[in-house]
Amino acid sequence: MSRIWPVVRREYVERVRSKAFLIVTLLAPVLMGAFVILPGVLMEKQRGRALRIAVVDETGVLKEGVERALANQKADGRERFEIRKAEGGTAATELSALREEVLEGRLDGYVRIPEDALKTSQAEYHGKNVSNFLDLSLVQKIIGEALLTHRLVGEGIELSKVRALTSAADLKTLRVSTEGEKEDRGGSFMLAFLMAGMLYTTVVIWGQALMNGVIEEKTNRAVEVMVASIPTSTLFMGKLLGVGAVGLTQFFVWSSCLVLAGVFGGPALAALGLLPEVPATDVVALLVFFVLGYFLYAAFYAAIGASVNTQQEAQSLIFPVLMPLILAFVLAPSVLSNPEGSVSTVLSFIPPLTPILMFARIVAQRPPSWQIGLAIVLLVLTIAVVNWCAARIYRVGILMYGKRPTLPEILRWIRAA
Amino acid sequence: MSVNAVRLEGITKAYKGHVAVHDLTFEIPRGDLFGLLGPNGAGKTTTLRMITNILGPDSGRIEVLDLVPGQASRDRIGYMPEERGLYPRMVLEEQLIFLAEIKGTPRAEARRRLPPWLERMGLAEWGKRKVNELSKGMQQKAQFIATILHDPEVLILDEPMTGLDPIGANLMRDVLLDMKRQGKTIILSSHHMETVERLCDSIALIHQGRKLLDGPVGEAKKRYGRNAIALGFEGDGSFVANLPGVKRVSDEGHFMEIQMEKGADPQAILREVALRLRVNRFEILEPSLRDIFVSLVGGTDAEVAA
Repeated sequence: MSRIWPVVRREYVERVRSKAFLIVTLLAPVLMGAFVILPGVLMEKQRGRALRIAVVDETGVLKEGVERALANQKADGRERFEIRKAEGGTAATELSALREEVLEGRLDGYVRIPEDALKTSQAEYHGKNVSNFLDLSLVQKIIGEALLTHRLVGEGIELSKVRALTSAADLKTLRVSTEGEKEDRGGSFMLAFLMAGMLYTTVVIWGQALMNGVIEEKTNRAVEVMVASIPTSTLFMGKLLGVGAVGLTQFFVWSSCLVLAGVFGGPALAALGLLPEVPATDVVALLVFFVLGYFLYAAFYAAIGASVNTQQEAQSLIFPVLMPLILAFVLAPSVLSNPEGSVSTVLSFIPPLTPILMFARIVAQRPPSWQIGLAIVLLVLTIAVVNWCAARIYRVGILMYGKRPTLPEILRWIRAA
Repeated sequence: MSVNAVRLEGITKAYKGHVAVHDLTFEIPRGDLFGLLGPNGAGKTTTLRMITNILGPDSGRIEVLDLVPGQASRDRIGYMPEERGLYPRMVLEEQLIFLAEIKGTPRAEARRRLPPWLERMGLAEWGKRKVNELSKGMQQKAQFIATILHDPEVLILDEPMTGLDPIGANLMRDVLLDMKRQGKTIILSSHHMETVERLCDSIALIHQGRKLLDGPVGEAKKRYGRNAIALGFEGDGSFVANLPGVKRVSDEGHFMEIQMEKGADPQAILREVALRLRVNRFEILEPSLRDIFVSLVGGTDAEVAA
């Protein structure tokens, strides 16, 4: 068995050193980070500077309330709006003066509340940048509240009561777990789905990589020297382990990035609701189910690679093998939203579906330990059987050249080998 | 320790639809340079694959260095397949060290042995290059290093000369003879008769999976020889026709071709002739392996050369 290590090392070193691996492994987190974090950071930055704003109130009754409310808005202890007093004068001259200031960049924008606003509820915001919706929706909300307050006071309700009556509902979502309750703004569903996607993608990517390696070794005949040196089963396991270790390395790099992002960028990101905290148990589950999923599906890939002569020939054989994995991924969202349902529970015990669906259940709502244990035991048994068959197919197929074998022929190899 | 490095006994191997090797029996003495001959599709590669334990026979018995084929015998064999196969994108040195390693040679030891071999095969400057940057001939030399770096006792080379230029072929021949001198057993398969005839001590000739002939090259030739002697001489050679062991002569005055009886000793004839005549030329007319091959296989020359 000591002969397996050179094989594992070769697979590992050759692949990890390749440019493609370095690029994918290092670039993926950067790109992901850019996609997820950059917009948030940009917005944060924009919000970091108070928006210089002026209020032109043609109704003559809302100005004070709106300005006060705007001035009171704070984010992270800083004021979000800097109220500039308008010059005064007639409405027309005032507006044109403000427009000048906006154009010259001394003012970000101004709010115009027209005379008939009390009836129409229409107001205007004029600014160079009108896409900073976080700020603008706040302005809208404040004007709306000012209008409402004014109307209610007009109806004879006391100002102090208005506040109490109009306070809007604010739904906080809290995730209950054994570690206590944590606020969660819907990010965890996305994160879980993202991780399930990562699981699916990596299993497919590394299974495919293994298969291509097997085909390549077969076509350039390097395999003949290999099987003259070591048993085919050793070669098979060595390749499986080597490529798996490469996948695991990639996973480690990626999850380290996730953890680092959590440590250094965590508070800011969490404040934006972009990245809920990833519990360590989820990361462990991700690694465990990657390893299990990989060993199940990669064995198929290796057997297919050994049976065919070209990658084209392999494609038609891969699809049926991949079906359960695709199915599991498609089912993942419904399992995530109903992790304790009987259908979800049953599905998560079907070994080919277990890697993704049991993982989804764990992330969504930790099932009882015995369920996790049982699913893993069933999966490991399946892996053992599949690998045993795959090794036999590999052994016969690897030295077969010529016509692609039919499925009955491949089944005969399993018995004959 | 038996005198044979390899012993095949009644080996049969069938693939779906056809029998590749049928009831094959022969022995390869230790330290011999052995040629496995046969036309394309004769079963040479299948036989070699069974000796290297890549394939198992359907029936029959194989012994390699007194061992039943397995990891232990595999480690003591160096095998160069007909279809050369190296990992094209791997750096040559690392590849060769790797291939020695899976044969059980420690990494450091393989690293130490490698430079002299690269030097000898003219690849010293190519060690750090990727295999796919090497020419075909260089790749073949590299494959040869891969075959012997773990210092095997038995070398199995499937068509070792094909693809080499004359200089490369000479280098290969010198290296093989060197290894033979070191006591290695070398098995090479070829349909290149002239090479085998000059290089090999013993042969087996197989055709359609069956053995037609085996044994030391000299014996094989004798068995299938025309039993003739070419004699160039001065003097009266009429007595030769009456010498024991001589069947018939065709006398042309200063040259005669002597047909011997089966089993006659040409050396005895030479002694008699040398006593009475001035001998300018005495040559035992052996058939070439090529002649034997053609007569046994019954194929055309073109088929043999292919």
